[in-house]
Amino acid sequence: MKLYQPNEILIEQGEENAPVVQRVRARLPHVPVRIVERGWERDGLPPLEGDTFSAGKKRLLFTRQRSTFLEHCPAGTSGLVCCNYLVVSLISNCPMDCSYCFLQEYLANNPTLKVYTNVDDLLSQVATAIDRHPSQQFRIGTGELSDSLALDPLLGFSAHLVPFFAERKNALLELKTKTDCIDALLTLDPKDRVVVAWSMTPPDIVNTEEHGTASFAARLAAAQRVQEAGYRLGFHFDPLIEYPDWERGYYEVISRIFSTIDPQRVAWVSLGSLRMTPALRSTVRRRFPQTRILSGEQVVCADGKWRTFQALRVKMYRTILGWLKEAAPHVPHYMCMETAAVWEKVIGYTPSCDKDVARTLIGGIG
Amino acid sequence: MSGIANSLVTYAREKHLSTPTLQRWQSWSEEDQAALLPIARELQLNENQLRDFLDWLEEIVARDGVTIRGVLGRPELQHPLETKLSRNDKLKAVKDALRKLRYPRLSQLEDDLRAAIKALDLGNRVRVSFPAALEGNEITIEIKARTSEEVRDTVLQLQQKLEDGSLQRVFDLLDEI
Repeated sequence: MKLYQPNEILIEQGEENAPVVQRVRARLPHVPVRIVERGWERDGLPPLEGDTFSAGKKRLLFTRQRSTFLEHCPAGTSGLVCCNYLVVSLISNCPMDCSYCFLQEYLANNPTLKVYTNVDDLLSQVATAIDRHPSQQFRIGTGELSDSLALDPLLGFSAHLVPFFAERKNALLELKTKTDCIDALLTLDPKDRVVVAWSMTPPDIVNTEEHGTASFAARLAAAQRVQEAGYRLGFHFDPLIEYPDWERGYYEVISRIFSTIDPQRVAWVSLGSLRMTPALRSTVRRRFPQTRILSGEQVVCADGKWRTFQALRVKMYRTILGWLKEAAPHVPHYMCMETAAVWEKVIGYTPSCDKDVARTLIGGIG
Repeated sequence: MSGIANSLVTYAREKHLSTPTLQRWQSWSEEDQAALLPIARELQLNENQLRDFLDWLEEIVARDGVTIRGVLGRPELQHPLETKLSRNDKLKAVKDALRKLRYPRLSQLEDDLRAAIKALDLGNRVRVSFPAALEGNEITIEIKARTSEEVRDTVLQLQQKLEDGSLQRVFDLLDEI
């Protein structure tokens, strides 16, 4: 896949000497650099024109995270079953541009792709949190506000994160990606504390809706390589997209994954129906007029988001889960942002609390 | 400006349509723009109603690879338009028909549920309803009664529907597809 190239680098005053800034400047000597003050957004930089969300992705900003890095995954919405997942974000915004991406709404007014320079603060916040509860197991991911690996060839954050988590007894790091940017991982020893997870959709959806990502085949080849290098894998069928040929598409995806990789080294698999707020649907309609993802039989659910109507998405979950259980019977699975009613129908029980789901997922690794 | 372009602008002015809605309509081919205009006029579609039509038509086209004029020319939509009905009834009938094209499996399931509830034959003192857009797993059963005897009779009737499995059938249908 094509590596990220910004049109402009903005560096907040005081961050010029941060190691990640120096590294990027050395790798992109031809990209114009501008030093900006804090609050630079108000400093009269030329406004972005046209599709500002796309244009913002090409403006790379280095700044400091001044509040906490460690947060609870926002999927833990009231009324939905949650898996007690924590997120840390060293990057806000994503160089790729999936048509369904929630960042289009969440970062709608964000004119940059933001990278935080204070990696050490993140590591120290995580250490403090997990050391305070030594008997608790934590699952922490970096793929909430960006792809975990898309910028790794440029930024090199995995070289900080993987060794840190490799030494932790009560935390797992999950790196979620749609790329094949795994070369840096191959030189590190994860000691079973790092899960590299791929979001997987059928190749025709990758090609038409997941703009700028690695192909399905490239993701699978990358998964095979990191597994051979000692990492556990995760697979996320999320968003699960209903389209006329979804059964053939997802069957092929599952067959190809489990005929290529070793299911014994898969930490978890998740399923999550495509979900969109009304505002996101409008944005998608405007930015991707040719998209097919709005054409499924989606309805408004109790949390205000549009999803495939319940009976059909239950059928999709059951069908795909059936294939997964056949191909990889021992791999733990869960659903993301689903109601207790749907858990009951698909999995056969409703977890009594969030920690129930987390325990199931960590149990196989712990 | 072409004839159809002028007509759309006139209609937009009459109905106080927003600029984005008008622009969306104008982004279609002239044939497609023209196919919707007489229907919009006939049904007097306002901003929100027109937006639903635009959403559903574009989504059907993206899914099925057809044209908007092809969808609008289908007998399911033409039939209510040609039937003598009040404007409101005609609007409801056309919208229902278009929704069936847009949501074929959901509409079929709703029809099956309505048929299963009708087959319970519970009379007009009991109302059985299902959740909007079939989200959730609860049905609502309302009982109207003037006396305790009426309550008892209705409960007995429901008991019988439980025993013969016909009430269970309604629950089963909620996720049968």
